Amino acid sequence: MTAAAQEAPERRNPRLVTLPTLPGLGGLYAKGVASSGRIAVTRSPVGRVLPGPRDVVLPDVVYRVADVPTADVTEHLTAYQRLVGERVDDTLPAGYLHVLAFPLATALMVRGDFPLPLLGLVHVSNAVSVHRPVRVGDVLEVRASAENLRAHRRGVQVDLVTEVSTGGELVYRGVSTYLAKGFRLPSGEEPLPEQTDEVPREDFVPPFPTARWALGSGTGRAYGAISGDRNPIHTSTLGAKAFGFPRTIAHGMYTAARALAEVGAARGDAYDWTVEFEKPVLLPGTVQVAITRTPDDAAHPGGFTYVGWNGKSGKRHLGGTVTPR
Amino acid sequence: MATPKTPQTTTPGTDERPDALPVEQPGRTPALRDAYVLGGNRIPFARAGGKYTGASNQDMFTAALEGLVARYGLQGERLGEVVGGAVLKHSRDFNLIRESVLGSSLSPQTPAFDLQQACATGLEAVVTVSNKIRLGQIESGVAGGSDTVSDAPVAVSEGLRKALLKASHAKTLGARLKAFAAVRPGDLAPSTPSTGEPRTGLSMGEHQAITTAAWGISREAQDEVALNSHLNLAAAWKAGFFDDLVTPFRGLTQDQNMRADSSAEKLASLKPVFGKHLTPSAPTHGAAASEAGGPALPTGPTMTAGNSTPLTDGASVVLLGSREWAAEHDLAVLARVVDAESAAVDFVHGHEGLLMAPAHAVPRLLARNGLALEDFDFYEIHEAFASTVLTTLAAWEDDDYCRTELGLDGAFGSIDRSRLNVHGSSLAAGHPFAATGGRIVATAAKLVADKARETGRPARALISICAAGGLGLAAILESTASPAVTPAQSTES
Repeated sequence: MTAAAQEAPERRNPRLVTLPTLPGLGGLYAKGVASSGRIAVTRSPVGRVLPGPRDVVLPDVVYRVADVPTADVTEHLTAYQRLVGERVDDTLPAGYLHVLAFPLATALMVRGDFPLPLLGLVHVSNAVSVHRPVRVGDVLEVRASAENLRAHRRGVQVDLVTEVSTGGELVYRGVSTYLAKGFRLPSGEEPLPEQTDEVPREDFVPPFPTARWALGSGTGRAYGAISGDRNPIHTSTLGAKAFGFPRTIAHGMYTAARALAEVGAARGDAYDWTVEFEKPVLLPGTVQVAITRTPDDAAHPGGFTYVGWNGKSGKRHLGGTVTPR
Repeated sequence: MATPKTPQTTTPGTDERPDALPVEQPGRTPALRDAYVLGGNRIPFARAGGKYTGASNQDMFTAALEGLVARYGLQGERLGEVVGGAVLKHSRDFNLIRESVLGSSLSPQTPAFDLQQACATGLEAVVTVSNKIRLGQIESGVAGGSDTVSDAPVAVSEGLRKALLKASHAKTLGARLKAFAAVRPGDLAPSTPSTGEPRTGLSMGEHQAITTAAWGISREAQDEVALNSHLNLAAAWKAGFFDDLVTPFRGLTQDQNMRADSSAEKLASLKPVFGKHLTPSAPTHGAAASEAGGPALPTGPTMTAGNSTPLTDGASVVLLGSREWAAEHDLAVLARVVDAESAAVDFVHGHEGLLMAPAHAVPRLLARNGLALEDFDFYEIHEAFASTVLTTLAAWEDDDYCRTELGLDGAFGSIDRSRLNVHGSSLAAGHPFAATGGRIVATAAKLVADKARETGRPARALISICAAGGLGLAAILESTASPAVTPAQSTES
């Protein structure tokens, strides 16, 4: 299991900040680019050391939007469902709730006191629990917080936690784990963790595929248009090159959402959905996919395990589980 | 189930079987009677982009139907029903079969409807028509199918389609222009039909390549099936077997894909086309997985254009009727449609191979009819790919598979390969999806009729057709014309 699923031990009594509506992502990105630049100034040849111990803490704040209506999302929801292959109905799938809550998490990440740069954060894993289905018309409360800043072999990791509730009942909880490469916590602050996040990749033997995703060059733009996540690495070749990718890359959450959709009705109304991202999917590109029932003798029986890989290199793009609750 | 439960008026102690109920009582389901294959007709199958380029599904179905009408003297006849379909179908062909009937010399009072079950369309049409006959709803009917890839419908892209729909609903010029403004250059590329499974994105060949590898089916075994198909079909054409089953069309008198001069060497020289991106892995099923106790050798790609069915154009029809209708029209009875069973498998998450449903359908069908796999004179297993036939046969021979997947006590059994697709099948003839069922049913009906006549004993054929969507359909045909057939066997009870 990822560290993301753990409770943040250092969690204090956070300040609750209520925003009137969910923020728009466009403005947040502009702000994110600016603050990314600010943080990058502290770059040093051996990696970006986070400034003094006092500043290493995450903003101790929970963002909240109280009454998010969903009565008018039908058209947008349909577009999302078509794009990732979900059944078109009035249920908001977990991936859609992630998209819905993402701007609030992003708003946290572009705060002046957020210690990591928005651009350049690598989404390494995601763990979602849907406790009961959210339907069109439900009025939602959305919360976002940043938790569990920790050292990682290649930098530091942080969890962005989003929660959705309706009528006071928690219906969705998502933990998105990001890695800021090249950063490290000031020495002595925290030992490097055991490398539990680094499952040995070398022994991956591709199974028989059950599906194949032929992803066109516009895949990033299409998901960007619907999710609002128009990070240039997904939408523009120049933008991708600026971050060291030869071409645009698919949104990790698009690929994970497709895997979730392709599990189908067997996932039930309430489910856990995890993903770990490995090699990015360059666009256009073809992903070999295996979505199979988890064997009964596995740790989490009764669900589905999925993995996506590159058929030529044999490298894994993503892997995860979908387990009915 | 179809028998309405009305108060019993019979005295206690009498036979209470549903079929013993008096048939003359209005509203009662009459006792079942038998449906028979009386004949068949098809046009030769053409390779995609070949002789039938420009011929539509309706053109071809009408040609096959008209040939049947001519052969059996059905001009002006009002048949009970004509049922058929096409897999690749344009939206304008919403009444494809009825339009074909109107274009034929059958009575315009002959009703018709369209039906579609992917590659099992033709056989499902036969089952449907024969069931109507068995129920007494109709006396006669035609079942068949038509498919063309040369004249396949081409759709506009989703982007353009949405813009066109929006524009057509728009009330002002401005709104119409706005709708079209959303069209991107990429949207102008047409969307052509593919053989890909909608839920997996894998083509049928890629799916079968996985099944083939899982069962460890060798390239040589597949090429042998392909070679036999060509040689058997060519021999049947040469012997005149198809003379009363085929009507030439557009200058084509024989199946265009058939290679009478095919050889093992030629087939062996072809490059694999499916399964190239599969990581070589050891078989997981069957004898190949458990051979000699040692680790099984991974198999590379084995499926070529030679041992896979090519895309083809064509149409076929089958004439069905009750015994009385056949007698009234002075037509011989070829075979009785005994029973049929459809099945479907969970292929989406790789639990079962896409084309393995017939492996499930056949044991259920035979169990219901008290038959064993060995009880057949002919096996017509549709050659979607040579390996489809071989994985099906391997599955039936596998103890563990039959136990866990089919719920049998052990291996289902083996067949005498000399009775398999004796006059060739889809690898040689080609496979115009909806037309294959009619081709096979007409061939099998004539085979059992001929066999019964030669031997004086009843003959039986098993038909099995796999289809997209993890579907499969199997049916049993039995000869009736033999003098050895007792009244009990040709039951009209």
